[in-house]
This record gives sequence, C-alpha cells and structure tokens, in this order.
Amino acid sequence: MAEEYNIKEMAEKISSIKQEANELKAMSGGNQAVDRNVNRILASVKMLEINISDLVNVL
Amino acid sequence: MKDTEKYWNPILETLPQEKLRELQLKKFQNIFKWAYERSKFHHKLYSDAGIEPGDIRTFDDMRKVPRAEKSMMRAIQGKAPYPYGDILCVPLEEVTAYHQTSGTTGQPVYQPDTWQDWEWCAETWAYILYAQGYRDYDKVFIPFGYHTAIAFWEGHYGAEKVGCEVIPGGVLNTEARILKMQELRATAMMATPTYVLGMADTARRKLGIDPARDLQIRKITVAGEPGGSIPTTRKRMEEAWGAKVYDHVGATEFGAWSYECTYQSGLHVNEALFLVEIEDVNTGELITEPGRRGKMIITAFDRLAQPCIRFDSKDIMEWSPVECECGRTFRLIKGGVVGRADDITKVKGVLLAPTSIEEVVRSIPQLGDEYEVLVTKKGDLDDITLRLELTPGQEDNVDAVKSKLVDQLRIKTGLGYNLEFHKYGTLPRYELKAKRFKDQRPKE
Repeated sequence: MAEEYNIKEMAEKISSIKQEANELKAMSGGNQAVDRNVNRILASVKMLEINISDLVNVL
Repeated sequence: MKDTEKYWNPILETLPQEKLRELQLKKFQNIFKWAYERSKFHHKLYSDAGIEPGDIRTFDDMRKVPRAEKSMMRAIQGKAPYPYGDILCVPLEEVTAYHQTSGTTGQPVYQPDTWQDWEWCAETWAYILYAQGYRDYDKVFIPFGYHTAIAFWEGHYGAEKVGCEVIPGGVLNTEARILKMQELRATAMMATPTYVLGMADTARRKLGIDPARDLQIRKITVAGEPGGSIPTTRKRMEEAWGAKVYDHVGATEFGAWSYECTYQSGLHVNEALFLVEIEDVNTGELITEPGRRGKMIITAFDRLAQPCIRFDSKDIMEWSPVECECGRTFRLIKGGVVGRADDITKVKGVLLAPTSIEEVVRSIPQLGDEYEVLVTKKGDLDDITLRLELTPGQEDNVDAVKSKLVDQLRIKTGLGYNLEFHKYGTLPRYELKAKRFKDQRPKE
C-alpha cells in the first residue's frame, strides 16, 4: 500500500515546513507569541515525520 | 471503502512485517543514542553494560541493551533536576505536562512530557480511536476526574485530533454524567470496565435510565483494567450499553501501545511507534510464537523527555495465532494482559491470572459486577477469599451459584477459594481502576 503514496515528495514538503518554521522562529527577536506557537507547529511537524518522513529510508 | 477511511495511517498500519522490523531498528538506534547522550541515568546504565550507540546494528544487539524498570525510576525521582532526576533528557523548562502512575504497585512514578511528547501521546491515541471507528461526527463523553493520573487525558486529546467533539465529564458525579450524556446525545465514551458497568447500574437503579435504550452511546473504549479483553465482562458491558466495547492497553511510562480495531480479534501492537518483546519470565528467552505466555519488554521510540527503552513492564501476555481481517499488519496480542510477573499475583506458589477469576465471575448471570479477591496467610499457607454479590432476587440460588463457582474457578485457576456472599451494593464501587486484588500477606 505504501507505493500508492508519494512518500518521498511528502517528506520533502515536511522538511520545507520545518525549515520555514525554524526560520520564522529565528527572526522573531524572542517574541514569545511567535516562538511558542512555532514550537507547537514543530511538534506537529514531528508527528508528520513519524508518520511519513521516517519511512523514506525504509521503503 | 477507501484505505484512508479504514486506517489513521494506511502506510504504517499496513507496512509488511519485514519493513516494520527495519523501521523499528532505525528508530531504536535513534532513541538509544538520544538517551545515551542526554541522560546521566541512561549513560551509566549502558556504559556499565559496555554498550554504546554504535554497537546497535541488529535486532540481536538490541536484546543486549539492559532493561529499565519502575524501581529504578522511583530511586531517581525526587533528585535534581527536581522532581524527575537525571533520567530527564531535556531542560526542565521544556517540560510542559506532569502526570504520574496510579500507584497500583507502589510509590507513583512521575512522568514529564514536553509539548512534542504530549502531541505524540495524542497521536498514539488517534491510531486507537480511528481504528475503533471514532470519526469527526462523534461526541465523545469522558467521565473521568481529570487529575494527576494520565488515564483518559491522552484519550481526550487523541479524540480532538481525530476531529471528535469532546465532552469532559470532569468533577460531575455519576448521575450528572449520565444525564449530561443523555442531554448532549453523546455517541461514544471512554472509561475503565469497572466504571462502565457501575454507570449502567447507577443509571438503571437511581435514574430509571436504561443506557442501551435511552442513551446514544454506541462505542466505548475501555482501559486501565483487563476487562475489555475478557469475553464475559465485555458481553456484560455491550449488553448494558447497547454499544461495541473496544479494549486498549497502555501505561503512563510508555504510552498507548496497543488497541483493538472494529474486528475485535485481539490487541494490535502499534509496531510503528513501539517495540514490544515478549520474553520467558524465567529464562529471558525471546518468545515469537503464539500460545506461549511471557512478560512484555517495551520501547517507545519517540517520547523524548523521559525515554522508555526496553522497559520491563512485568505484564504477562502472549502473541495471537490469528491475523486480523482488518488488514493491519501490526501483530495481535491474544486476550490482553492476563497478569503480572511479580509477587503481586503469585498465590500458593503459582502465578494467578486475576483475569481468569473475573472471567468466571462475570459468566454467572446471578452474580453482580463487583467482586474482591483477598489473599491472606494462615500459618505458612496462602489463603484466598473471593467476595461476591448476588444480584437482587437471587438469594435463593446461592447454593447453585456456589457450586458453579467452585467448579469453574478450579478449572480456570487451579485453586480453591473461600466464597463470601455480600448484600448487593455493599462491596466498594470505583470510578477508575478497581482495587479488587487485596494482598494482605505479611511482607517477607
């Protein structure tokens, strides 16, 4: 069933979201309203990595 | 039906077993390295055993990693960084949630989680609930006193993640909870088996409400006790509520590792997020074949603040010989957790599976839902008393019930019991985990 999904492309998108989120945090100047919400985004990104990205080297 | 309608993650849940093993090895290597490099506790545990991250190349290598157990965690906690001790793998400031174990086997163990860990906890529950048919049209009632025990906190967040509307039953009493379920037309519920039965009894006796007829609960997820995997207890719950009852087993320290799907063929181990090893209690030999009981050693791959690596759960279970028709490739556990591999359930020198007692009690319709097992010492010998309630109007049938109990208990557990019948409604009632097994033997 895994072959029906474009896992590699999805993993690349996930990686881009992570990079964008980290860049946003880096430019926040310590603004907590940005940093804490980015942390939540990154926690969700980690779940995407667990569900998708971790498989890239296995399949 | 489309795969995305059947599975929370159709990719992981149908991954061939050999691919799952490959994924597990990689994830084990990652969590081992993480803990080795960040926690003094883990570093010392593994250094003393002469193992470092580069040594883990195969499944056999993983088996050489020393086990952790609850007593080690109890010894660490209360020290710096307070209160978790040097098992903590993240700065204290990153911990955003505190919970603790229920304390069934002793001093509660503290459980720190970061926001990411908590997101992971909800993720593990999303797998459970989606497999059990929870969808965004469900209204999930959680009759649980939200507090330090992790219990259904994770279920709450998991249900939100799946898209359900969650109704927190919180500090309401049982009657108020039932009325709120009725008022809001809740369609699903999470509770311990004891409380599922207790609520139904209260609804009938105190409110004149028949849950199967007057409420709209059609799915119940149970946890915290083995009842969901005991056929006779499940039958009582399903009949009382007119609902399907699904089991789930998890624990505070390692998370929600298993779940039944709508096919109810056994407990699927979530092998994408956990490594479950079952090993012989006496020899430590790995058990991979069905039908042979052993204790579970478990690793949670992605929970990072306080990693759980090769944790000796002491839970006794066995692999199932069947493959589930749902199409998931995750292996099945047959009959849930049947006991514990410690002295708590050793009576007269044999390992007593409390689930077997429950199976017998709940198979006799003249008996109420509540019971207690009391173990004492008479001289050098263990003595077991089983306290029961007859349902109202069954008092004349006590001899027939007694005879059936003696026979069935002897067959199922191999032990003889003193039987005590109590007036209906007088044995303790519980809202969370019932304490039915009372060991009053002097500690050696």
